[in-house]
Amino acid sequence: MIEQLGNGLLLGVIIALGSVALSLLYGVTRIVNFAHGEIIAFGAIMTLFFSSSPDSSLLYLDRFSPLGINFIASVLLSTVLCGVFGGLLELLLFRPLRKNNFGNIAVLVVTIGLSIFLRHIYLLFASAKPTSYILELQRRQDYFGIQLTPRNVQVLIVGFIVMVLVGIFLTFTKTGKAMRAVRDSSELANVSGINSDYIILVTWVFSSMLAGFTGIIQGVINNVRWNMGFLILLLIFAGTVLGGIGTSFGAMFGGFIIGILVQLSVGLQFMDGHTEAKNAIALALMIVILLVRPQGIFGSKDRIS
Amino acid sequence: MNKYFTAFIILVLSFFYIFFSNDSGGGRVFVNLLTFAGIYGLAAIGINVHFGWTGLLNFGHAAFMGIGAYTTVLLIPHSLGREGVVISTGLPLPLAIILGLIASALLGLLLGLPTLRLRGDYLAIVTIAAAEIFRLLVRDFEDLTGGVYGIIQFSDSLQNSRPDFITQFSENYNISSAQLWVGLLTWFSIVFVLIILARLKKSPWGRALRAVREDEDAVRALGKNAVLLKLQSFMLGAAIGGLSGIFLVFNYGTVQASTFVPVLTFYVWAALILGGVGSLGGPALGAVIFWVIIAGTDTISRFLFESPDGQQLAGVRFVIVGLLIMFCMIFKPSGILGDKEELLLDVK
Repeated sequence: MIEQLGNGLLLGVIIALGSVALSLLYGVTRIVNFAHGEIIAFGAIMTLFFSSSPDSSLLYLDRFSPLGINFIASVLLSTVLCGVFGGLLELLLFRPLRKNNFGNIAVLVVTIGLSIFLRHIYLLFASAKPTSYILELQRRQDYFGIQLTPRNVQVLIVGFIVMVLVGIFLTFTKTGKAMRAVRDSSELANVSGINSDYIILVTWVFSSMLAGFTGIIQGVINNVRWNMGFLILLLIFAGTVLGGIGTSFGAMFGGFIIGILVQLSVGLQFMDGHTEAKNAIALALMIVILLVRPQGIFGSKDRIS
Repeated sequence: MNKYFTAFIILVLSFFYIFFSNDSGGGRVFVNLLTFAGIYGLAAIGINVHFGWTGLLNFGHAAFMGIGAYTTVLLIPHSLGREGVVISTGLPLPLAIILGLIASALLGLLLGLPTLRLRGDYLAIVTIAAAEIFRLLVRDFEDLTGGVYGIIQFSDSLQNSRPDFITQFSENYNISSAQLWVGLLTWFSIVFVLIILARLKKSPWGRALRAVREDEDAVRALGKNAVLLKLQSFMLGAAIGGLSGIFLVFNYGTVQASTFVPVLTFYVWAALILGGVGSLGGPALGAVIFWVIIAGTDTISRFLFESPDGQQLAGVRFVIVGLLIMFCMIFKPSGILGDKEELLLDVK
């Protein structure tokens, strides 16, 4: 069981970051974004495109050859690109829908269409085969009884730092406070002079950058695949629902719990030989949570009905 | 009558396209397309009861279709799994189908109970998760479901009931008699289901459902149990989905873990939105047009890639499906046959 804890922490940090991004966007815009997973995959795939060596033809169609630039630079560049991508989605698609009084349900269906569209664009341009970043192979070492590679430890630390930074941003900066104000009540925020259109745009950019970064971490820990976003999205939903949809710190917490739980369940007796079913456990837990405490652990009751 | 005229024109053009884009074996392609369209149309009618009538977002239809199909197939003689264990005894087919439909409705009850009290988007998340759970469990519990190896040799229960004149007709026109029989039964079921639904829609129950969609609080204020109404609608739509799943596996002749993947649901949604949410015949019409479009996307693939492989064909198909869902929802949310007043999309 303990040997799975390392994997649990790694999956937990992925889901926690993804959940914060999803939950923040939901809180401010009331959009359940099914295309969130595709933004995650976009970050991972762009990093692969920037960082793989130019003569490797493992991923893209012949007309695109990878750029082969420094890995850290690729990560930063892809994260920024994801922000731009999210901003464009808001400006070109979701803002016009909002101005035309599209309801939440119609927008939800649009995000599902968008997710199918983007995912299969990736399938056409990126190989269906899982691909890894060019990073040296590392051996697992013992950290306080938990088996992890040095790089995975770095990823965990960076993930935690990013989460703390997100927390500081939301709690102490003017924009972060404005985001939370719009989330709690957009009318009241408007009355107190907050430009909610601007805040929603900032939220899209911020949430998409965070999602892209989640994808890169996922790519480093596992690998890059065209449908990686869809696979992780359901676990992110589970994390968000567990922590409380619309909350930030709750979503982080819920994401971690889900990640650790999924990996630990591999060690259970009755799970022997049923490796695929580990994700089903997290999703089933989500359904149970909705039954007994639909607002999640940290959510408030008025958000749910 | 204008929109019915449009629908008629589109349908005729679609059929022309099918016949003239296939030099040889037009009949075979036609039967294949209409059978799949019927199956997806039936599934879309199920989602229409959920979404069009009651405003429930069900994105896990594949699970309802799957549980109906697996229940039915496992109850009739079949051959299972990697080793192909033959089970030669079973229930009569009509009884197995009824039990399959009950299984689908019960899954609807199971998923509906925790979520129907909550806001609509929770149901979307839970149903999509349920479809994924269903797929994972089917894959992992190979002893029961055959896993990725699936179940085969169950078609005889249905094909034994095929009348001779259909076999004769198929031989004359060089089409698959088994598929023709499944296709005919599917379209008969569509007509049957639509007749029942047409009566239900006008009944007090149907009107109460639409009232739930429009304003749940008003329904409650009038003393109706809105959650119970939603639950009934959810179970009814799930059972219709189960019926389409049963026809789907009889059309394939096999069923594996990969038959009921979550993307199946999105195909059905695309057909529904195209045909017209809330209208009676819209989903079936949408499914026919949808399958003609799918046949057309393969032409686009051949235009884009010199010799498209399976991955590219699927990629182009789904890119088009995604675009269809987005564009229809944004620019023509009432679809071809839908009624704009029937759609309340500005629900917050």
